[in-house]
Amino acid sequence: MSGVFRHFPVLMITLPIAGAALMPFVSYLRREAVPWVSALFLAVSGVLGLLLVGRIPPDGCVGYQLGGWEPPFGIELKVDFAGYFLMMVVCGISLLALLYSRPYIAREVRGGRITAYYVLFLLLSASMMGFVVTGDIFNLFVFMEILALSSYALVAVTGNRNAVRAAFKYLLMGAPSSIMVLLGIGFLYSVTGTLNMADLAARVVETGYREVLIASFAVLVLAFMVKAAIFPLHLWLPDAHSIAPSPMSAMLSGLVVAVSAFAIARIAFSVFTVHASGLTGTTMDALAAAGAAAVLFGGIMAIYQRDFKMMIAYSTISHMGYVVLGFTALNPEGLTGAVYHVLDHGIAKACLFLCAGNFIYRKGYRRINQLRGAWREMPWTCFAFALAAWSVIGLPPSAGFISKWYLVYGNVKAGRVPYAVILLIGAILAAVYCFRIIYYMFFQSGEEGAWRDQVMDVPVGMLAPTWILSLATLFFGVFSYFFLDSLLKATAGLLS
Amino acid sequence: MNLWPNLHYAVAMVLFCIGLYTVIMRRNIIKKIIGLNIMETSVFLFLISIGYLEGGAAPVHGHGVDPSRMVNPLPQSLILTAIVVAVSVTALALSLVILLYRQFGTLDVSRLFREEEEAG
Repeated sequence: MSGVFRHFPVLMITLPIAGAALMPFVSYLRREAVPWVSALFLAVSGVLGLLLVGRIPPDGCVGYQLGGWEPPFGIELKVDFAGYFLMMVVCGISLLALLYSRPYIAREVRGGRITAYYVLFLLLSASMMGFVVTGDIFNLFVFMEILALSSYALVAVTGNRNAVRAAFKYLLMGAPSSIMVLLGIGFLYSVTGTLNMADLAARVVETGYREVLIASFAVLVLAFMVKAAIFPLHLWLPDAHSIAPSPMSAMLSGLVVAVSAFAIARIAFSVFTVHASGLTGTTMDALAAAGAAAVLFGGIMAIYQRDFKMMIAYSTISHMGYVVLGFTALNPEGLTGAVYHVLDHGIAKACLFLCAGNFIYRKGYRRINQLRGAWREMPWTCFAFALAAWSVIGLPPSAGFISKWYLVYGNVKAGRVPYAVILLIGAILAAVYCFRIIYYMFFQSGEEGAWRDQVMDVPVGMLAPTWILSLATLFFGVFSYFFLDSLLKATAGLLS
Repeated sequence: MNLWPNLHYAVAMVLFCIGLYTVIMRRNIIKKIIGLNIMETSVFLFLISIGYLEGGAAPVHGHGVDPSRMVNPLPQSLILTAIVVAVSVTALALSLVILLYRQFGTLDVSRLFREEEEAG
């Protein structure tokens, strides 16, 4: 990449950060402008990202030295195709959730905090974009901390008692795990003397201290398992994700945990070079077992929920298990499935949470029972929900089908048939909890007076992001061949 | 292996475990946050001691100091960053504690959770 395009990845990350710093000033001038200006910053980031289409080679990566300091001394961004792909996913879903927030947030968050909400929102999206493309492991820690701090604060942003309690629970599990990430990095640094991922990958193979390296990997994986809410370390997730304001739930469930799960893959492949070093075996096996347990546990718990946001949150736990089972298969197919699953799970889950937000916005309902007969009053929301649920289950032609296909294929190819079977059982569980809601919404009539007979859906400003996301699940299913070839090449490069 | 020259590593790990124990077992949420800080300190100690050099000099060129005698400045700058992060985590946690105390009137985790069951 040459010329001005070279700077686009770093601009994509720094623009929202600059926007976040600017927002209090915008709010001082004109409070109503804050949502629009922050959306503008994210949109410009997205446009810069779109201009990079075709400029990132699928079988290589583009390095960028921050401040012109040569690696390994300076911090480096390494934009490979998988990272770029995830960056665009983060940018797109964040932009839609941000636009959705404008009408929704005014109702749940008190006046003065609205600006804070947008500042934190921009920081969250910027840190996630940095998180997936950074080539320096300490930089990864810093982005992870920005991400974590802004999400703790965003869970609590409404200030009501359950939200504060959920945020504190999240912090009590999240903060020790952040410290463990730092400890793992410390172990790694103490035996290799470098923080640059490419440099680390070379030295990990050469250096002798196998015990320290194995401990380092185990500590890092354990810490990121908390961040990615992988069973049995998921305890913070259901509360935090169901109590946060709905657009925030969409961000947390669709992106934050998925990006953290991707970080495990990143560390395993780009730093510890799974095949070359032979250090990661036991830890990866344990991780895969935890992922399989997560698929079943999340699915079964989701079936028993009465609150629909809680149900979607448990479904997220199940789907993080999918991502983990994908990349622990250690072949390009499994890893492609995992990356594609981050995409389609992000889109579908964000859409489900926005639909849940629509019901809460219009009716204040949170119980699944209360959704009986909902389609008469809110048909648009109900149809969007059904489309997204289709992808969560993984039925063709949605994107969920494509990613699950690759996940199962990757696992079978790696000779892990039991895990492939568990993936399929997970899809059946998803069908149970999704079809129950669809059945309630479309085929049952609710209590007298619960829903009006005339159509009164939410405003277009909220409906449009919901529908763009639900149509995107179809788009990425039908046109998946545009992305899959490049992703397969990119993941094969990551693995070798 | 000789413990004495590596004592600082052992101390860091013991501190880490004390901190983790405090975070998990203590019922008072402010004590939990103190435990969090102990954990952070232990990791700082660990990282700083990696860069320690007996009789080392400040890593500034041009004062006639032999580069091989300079301490490694990287762990120190990492820890400076990590301290900033740790302070912000603590500040956020304490502000959440203030909110919790205002709304529930207690700092005891088991009472916070008992109320959750009653509400649910």
